[in-house]
Amino acid sequence: MKGAKNTHYLQIDNKVKKICRPEGVEILPAGLAWKKYDWTRKYFALKPSSGYFIWARKQTKNPLLSCVSISSPRIKQRMQNLLVVEDNIKIDIQGTCNSLKKDLNGFHQASGKIVIKQGAKVNYQHVHSWGEKDIVETSYQFFLEKDARLNYNYQVIMPPRELKTNNRLILQENASANLEMSAACVETKFDIKESLILKGRNASGMLKLRLAAGKNSRISANSQIKAEAEAKGHLDCQGLLTDEKAVVSLVPALVCSHQKARITHEASIGRVSEEQLNYLMMRGLTEKQALDLIINGFLDYE
Amino acid sequence: MFFTVKNLKVSSENKEILKGVDLELKKGELQAILGPNGSGKSVLAQAIMGNPKYEIRTGQILFLGKNIAKLSSSQRARLGIALSWQNPPAIKGVKLSQLLEKITKSKASQAKVGITALLDREVNLNYSGGEKKLSELQQILSLKPKLVILDEIDAGLDLKKTEEVAEIIRRELVAKNIAVLLITHSGEILKFLQPEIVNVMVRGRIICRHKGYQKVLKTIKDYGYERCKKHALFTD
Repeated sequence: MKGAKNTHYLQIDNKVKKICRPEGVEILPAGLAWKKYDWTRKYFALKPSSGYFIWARKQTKNPLLSCVSISSPRIKQRMQNLLVVEDNIKIDIQGTCNSLKKDLNGFHQASGKIVIKQGAKVNYQHVHSWGEKDIVETSYQFFLEKDARLNYNYQVIMPPRELKTNNRLILQENASANLEMSAACVETKFDIKESLILKGRNASGMLKLRLAAGKNSRISANSQIKAEAEAKGHLDCQGLLTDEKAVVSLVPALVCSHQKARITHEASIGRVSEEQLNYLMMRGLTEKQALDLIINGFLDYE
Repeated sequence: MFFTVKNLKVSSENKEILKGVDLELKKGELQAILGPNGSGKSVLAQAIMGNPKYEIRTGQILFLGKNIAKLSSSQRARLGIALSWQNPPAIKGVKLSQLLEKITKSKASQAKVGITALLDREVNLNYSGGEKKLSELQQILSLKPKLVILDEIDAGLDLKKTEEVAEIIRRELVAKNIAVLLITHSGEILKFLQPEIVNVMVRGRIICRHKGYQKVLKTIKDYGYERCKKHALFTD
């Protein structure tokens, strides 16, 4: 598999194929972490039968790479994952979840917790690339302690038939989080739930959605920012319709229970302009190439 | 003939805009089309390039002996026709360098119009008038065209910038034997480029076709576009 050589955690179907631990980082199958480290039990809902545990205890130079793939027909993955980053550690993570073929009828379910301790900083690139018959459900909770930082970029490059995501971020004092989610959907039902809870003073966060709805896609996004302290937050949801039969529903919500909190939102849904298409086609691009370029620009893909 | 438009009638939303346009260009020839606002100059340019917004009712567009009226815009561009837009749309999230990378046929054409500072910016987003024109010219050159239509390339430019743009056109297109159809409302740029033939378009028709651009400009300045009818239409 491409890139497998450098991967720190590699799972294919339901088998862990490789674990490689850089110095200062513990990586285990989640079930073994449950046995070996008692303290992890408070983070797992049940004793995990599948999933990974990554514990960044010391600073590491290179990005951590994880890859979870489906390679056989009708596989069901039910993972419980846990990532813990200790105080003041800065790490980059590149995670890939994918199907190796288009028509495997796979089911991928991943839930987990991401704990970023005091002063730690995490840059997380999470790429999903699925087959057109797969069903995918992910549900993550992010806990950011005081002064913690998170940049989480979730990209759906190849969408599955059905995709459900549920992300919940809880930020303590002076913590900051940017969660960006982008997807180009074709024949996909995509249901997004996300909430950012600003619990601590001076916490700040942004939820950004870029959703392109192509042929027969239904996208529904419920995004919420809740401010419980003097904190700042912004919701930025944009949808782009690229097919007559596509539907996008964006429901941004702001809930404020502190007088000095400042939370804002913007939401819009547009369609691809004929003028842009004509312009690019007059530069020699085919209609599909022009459309792809416009969509990739909208999704901030280079 | 290198490029011929024959009795072209074009409509948009059931309104006839071009009412029988005839035009001929030789390989490497520089011609201009002058005309007031709303006379149909930009519609002619867009119809030549195949913008589906404009429906060709009758007539032919022949390029290198082939009727291209039913080809898509991409196909026309790939045959070697390029149009510089008067008001190009912004493409959010796409850097000019990315677009150039996708469309470039000739790497040698890069950096000839001095747009280095624009490469990292999104296509046409918040560009000044001059920046838009330079970006258009760079894109056109990257396509390695045989025929270039420049729609109001001098609009909104001061005299110094107009001269700069004219110099690029002269150096990169005219001197390289690339045919140019220069569409202009003001005519300012003509004195720097001295086209071989000037056409005057009024209300969807070319009413004058003349070799002396100075004479046509003087007539327009003194008496308006309509009086250009007195200059004979001619064909070679």
